[in-house]
This record gives sequence, structure tokens and C-alpha cells, in this order.
Amino acid sequence: MSKRNYEIVHQGSRAVIVTGFACLMLVLLLSGNILLYIAPHLILYAWLAVIFLVAAAGFQSYLFIAAVKGSAVDCACDGDHGHDRAPQLYSVRRSVFVFVLFAIPLLLGTLLPNSALAGSLAQNKGMNLGALPTGRGAAGADLVEVDGNQDPALKQLFKTDVYNRDYAKLGMLLYGQDVIEMKDEWFIEKQQALNLFADSFKGKTIRITGFVYREEGLSDSQFIVGRMAMTHCIADISPYGFIVDSPDAAQYADDTWITVTGTIDQTDYHGQKVVKIVIGSAEPASPAKIPYVYPDWNFASKL
Amino acid sequence: MHNESAVRKPQRSYANGLALVCLAFIAILYVLSDYGPGAIIADPRLQIFKTVFVSIILETMPFLWIGVFLSAILHVYVPDRLIQRMIPRNPILGIIAASVLGIVFPLCECGIVPAIRRLINKGMPVYAASTFILVGPILNPLVFWSTFTAFRGRPEIAYGRMGLAFIVALIVGLIVYRFVRSNPLRVRENRDHEHDHSHENNKLAAVMGHAINEFFDMGKYIVFGAMIVGLLQTFVSQTDLASLGQASGSANALMMGLGFILSLCSTSDAFVAQSFVTSFSGGALIAFMVFGPMINLKGVLMMSAVFKTKFVALLVSLVVILVYAGTFVLDYVFLK
Repeated sequence: MSKRNYEIVHQGSRAVIVTGFACLMLVLLLSGNILLYIAPHLILYAWLAVIFLVAAAGFQSYLFIAAVKGSAVDCACDGDHGHDRAPQLYSVRRSVFVFVLFAIPLLLGTLLPNSALAGSLAQNKGMNLGALPTGRGAAGADLVEVDGNQDPALKQLFKTDVYNRDYAKLGMLLYGQDVIEMKDEWFIEKQQALNLFADSFKGKTIRITGFVYREEGLSDSQFIVGRMAMTHCIADISPYGFIVDSPDAAQYADDTWITVTGTIDQTDYHGQKVVKIVIGSAEPASPAKIPYVYPDWNFASKL
Repeated sequence: MHNESAVRKPQRSYANGLALVCLAFIAILYVLSDYGPGAIIADPRLQIFKTVFVSIILETMPFLWIGVFLSAILHVYVPDRLIQRMIPRNPILGIIAASVLGIVFPLCECGIVPAIRRLINKGMPVYAASTFILVGPILNPLVFWSTFTAFRGRPEIAYGRMGLAFIVALIVGLIVYRFVRSNPLRVRENRDHEHDHSHENNKLAAVMGHAINEFFDMGKYIVFGAMIVGLLQTFVSQTDLASLGQASGSANALMMGLGFILSLCSTSDAFVAQSFVTSFSGGALIAFMVFGPMINLKGVLMMSAVFKTKFVALLVSLVVILVYAGTFVLDYVFLK
């Protein structure tokens, strides 16, 4: 291949890749499907990436056109195209290799449908039932009440160590509700609060929507209703859920979405004490388009 | 990209890379071939692989661009040796200054690694650069805050993570200062200095050109890394892995391995570590959260784009030994 042809292929393939990524991200951002890949707080950064990509696509196209016209762009400092050397075979091969490598995610992202991952991935990740860390509370030292002017008896119920005061506040808020609704907001935080103060919540009514999931160690009359939590991107999602006790558990198929209403109780699971739900009623539910929940580091300030 | 004059080495390494990608594809095809052509698209495992793969690339994209633009701007606008004058002469002070840099520039490794080559070319000592690469992703306020919230009931985990990361990076910096005499950078970037960026107009073009070059240079390692992470997440079950080692010694090593494989961002790994809280000791969790951000699959691939393989191997082995030993000390002394 002549040097000029190599230059055209090299610059052209780069222009295609950069433009491709710009388009892929733009389409995902505009359709909202980007939330199937990254968490909402990264969307701003994704737009930043689009700006960079569009600028790069423009510049790279200019380099490509210059290559086609045969005029070298001098100060691009493209240390790669060996100014005075005839291009050797391997640099062509290298260009092709890089092009193919970058084309794989582009093609996969464009051709395959965007889909949400639920139970199928939970199997690999291990369900998180909110069991308390081992060793916690053994010291039992320095339990404190939360500040504020709530009922002293209620404060007594939600006594905890200083680090869990935020959960105590959330717990007191939940305690006052007739039905504890496990919605998208604060799913993980509420699960933590319920497990921390499981004794106080015993017998309370709870309603939760999520996917059905099973793993080893559950009895025949049990299944798990869970949600997937994402911190940054799909690579770090992990499932959070509750064990549900139901006499006709077998009728709920894995990966289907249901809404369960029931009462809170406690159970032993793999040697850990966790909250469970004794089923009252259940109905099929449709999965949310973006089925993920997100940890909220700052929930306490919004209470 | 880079300079062809860098003898004949690249030829072999790219052929190897190509072979690896082909092998990966054959593996995918082999696994999927059990299910007829129609079922392949619908196979949940293909969906998992694709989603994890694309997700990591999309998430990395902005930070990679920040890194490569920073690097290009440094290259074009910042005079050589400027940074040398800013970093304290005393190696210990220099290393400490480099560790604190992460607090001022809270960048993850996808941003740090592209910039580090320029920083070294602009006079940052190699020992300070090694410290910055290791500790930058951990010792910053965002990471401390996310760790602290994930382990609300046990603040000692957040402090242990920060402290161990700092000490490991400090020791690695000192060892590099004492023993590494040769230039650890891959040679190919050196000829950049031949260029003369005199005109303002050309300088902008130069920034764009360098940034794009480096995007492809680094990007191919990220794509490759994301592909492997995607495959591992699809076919290797985290729970099975976790059940392999519960005993204290093997648990710490196991969690380091998990951190290596998962290649998570340092701000999000605390919540993943949290899901292991019932089955692993504090030391093992800290091993996961210190080793993972310092040395992981994606990061090591990126580092090998910048540094000679020997130097990367040195860094990896030092960090393995130090983190493993450090978490033992933590387990028996502070987290009883």
C-alpha cells in the first residue's frame, strides 16, 4: 500500500470510530437509554464526553479530507505516520487491528437491543439481604438517641450508635407510616434501616415491587423479591432484596416482577438474622423501564 | 499513534494482541455455539456481556478524554522541567506531595494514566509519578466519603483504607526512588520533542492531534480490558469466588484477586465491598478496596501502554506484597 493510501485508510478509520462513538452516546443520551448503562449522576460527564467526541470527530474528518487531497497536515504531530519512512506492513495491520477492536463495542452497542439486567445477573453477584456486619454491636457501647423533639418512647425504640443515627431517623420516619413502601428512592437505605431495627418493625405492613429471585438455602415456601442497585455502571451493580414467606411460593416464576404486600418478620438465613416479609397479597407488576435503584450517600440531609 | 522507529518490538506485541482478541472471540463463539444461531442473540449471557462491556466503555469515556486532553495540553503548553521545579527536591517530601495531589485533582486511573507520561516528560520524578498513579484513585475526598457511607457502622474501614493506601504508595515511591535508575517509559513517545509548536493556531491543532492519538493509544487498552471484565462478569460467579476462601489468609488474597478482576472505579467499589461484609473480615474488605483501584486488569493494561513491562511488573509485585502484608497487620492490630 502506498504511503498516501495508508494515510487515507488510517485517518478515515479513526474518523469513523470517533464519529461512531459520538453518535452512539448521543442516541443513548437523547433516548434516555443511557440509564441502562450508567448511573444518573454520570450523565453530565457523558455529555462532556459527547462534546469531546464531536470535536475529535470534526478534527479527525479534517485530517481525513486532507489525506484524501494529499496535503499533509503538518502540526498534527501524528507521531504515528512515520514522516519520511515508507509505511511498513505492520502499521497497516496495526491500524486495522485498532479499528476492529474499537468497532466491536460500537457494533454490539448499535446492533443488540438495550436491555435491563435483573435476575439473570443476580445469580452471579450474590443477593444482599441487609444482614448486619459480623462483629457489629457486640460491644454494645454508647448507644445514643437521635436529636429532635419526637416522642421519647419512639426515640427509645431507635437507639443506636452514633454512626447509625441517620438510619435511626429514617427508621422513625418509616415507623410512622401505615404502609412502608419500598420505592425506587432510598431502597437500600430503607432496607438497612429495617434490618438495623428489625425488632421494632416486627408486624408492620410493607409493600415492595421487584423481581423474583431464588438461590440455594431458601425453603420451598420462600423466594426473594429484589432490586438491582447501581453505583456507577453495570460493572458494579449488586442485587438487594427481602426474603418473602409464602405458602404458594412455587407459583411465582423467577425474573417476573411482582408487588408484594405483607408484614415484617425476622428469619435466620445462612447464619445471619435478616428481615423477611410474610406475604399478605401479591399481584403481577410491570418492570420499570429503568429498573435500577441508586444508593443515596446523602439521604439523611433530605429527611 | 506512536513512532514506528521504536525498533521492531511493536510488531510482535500487536500480533500477540490480535491473536488474543481472536482467541477471545473464538471462546465466545464456542460457548454460544451450543445454542443455535437464533438463540445467540436472545441468550441472556450475550446480553450481560454486551451490557457490561459497553457500560464500562461509556463510563470511562469522559474520564479518558479529560486525561488525554490534560496530557495534550501539558505537552503543548507547559514548558519542560516546569514540574520538576514545583515538586520538592527531597524524595520523601516529593512523594508526600504526589500523594496529596489526588486530593487536589480527584481523578480516577482512566484520567491519571494518560497524563502521567507527560508529567514524567515534563520533569516529574518517576518515584513521585508511581506514588501518584497508585494513591491518586484512592486518597481523595470522594472516595473517602463513599467508603465512609458504605461502612457507616465501621468508620475504621474508611480510615484503614486511606491509611493503608497512603503507606503502600509511600513505600513503593521510596523503593522506586532507591532502585529504579533507568527510564521506565516506553521509548516511542520521545520523538515528540522534535516538533516545534511555534504558531498559536498550530498549537490548538497540536492539542487536538495529540489528544486523538492518545485516545486511540489508551482507548484500545480500555476496550480490551472492558471486554475481559465483561467476559469474567458473565461467566464467573462472584458468589462462587467468594466461597472459595473464607480463612483469613486466603480471604485477603482472594479479595485482592476479585478487585483485580472486577476493575471497578474507586468511588463505586465501596458499595460492592459492602455486599461482602457478612462473609469477610475488615482486612479482606480493605484489601479489595486498596488493591483493586491500584492494580486492576484495565489499569494494568493502560499502564503497560506507558511503562515498560518490567516496570509494571515491579509495581504490581510490590503492591501485591505490601497490600497483603498491610491488611494482615490491620486485621490483627486495628480491626480485631
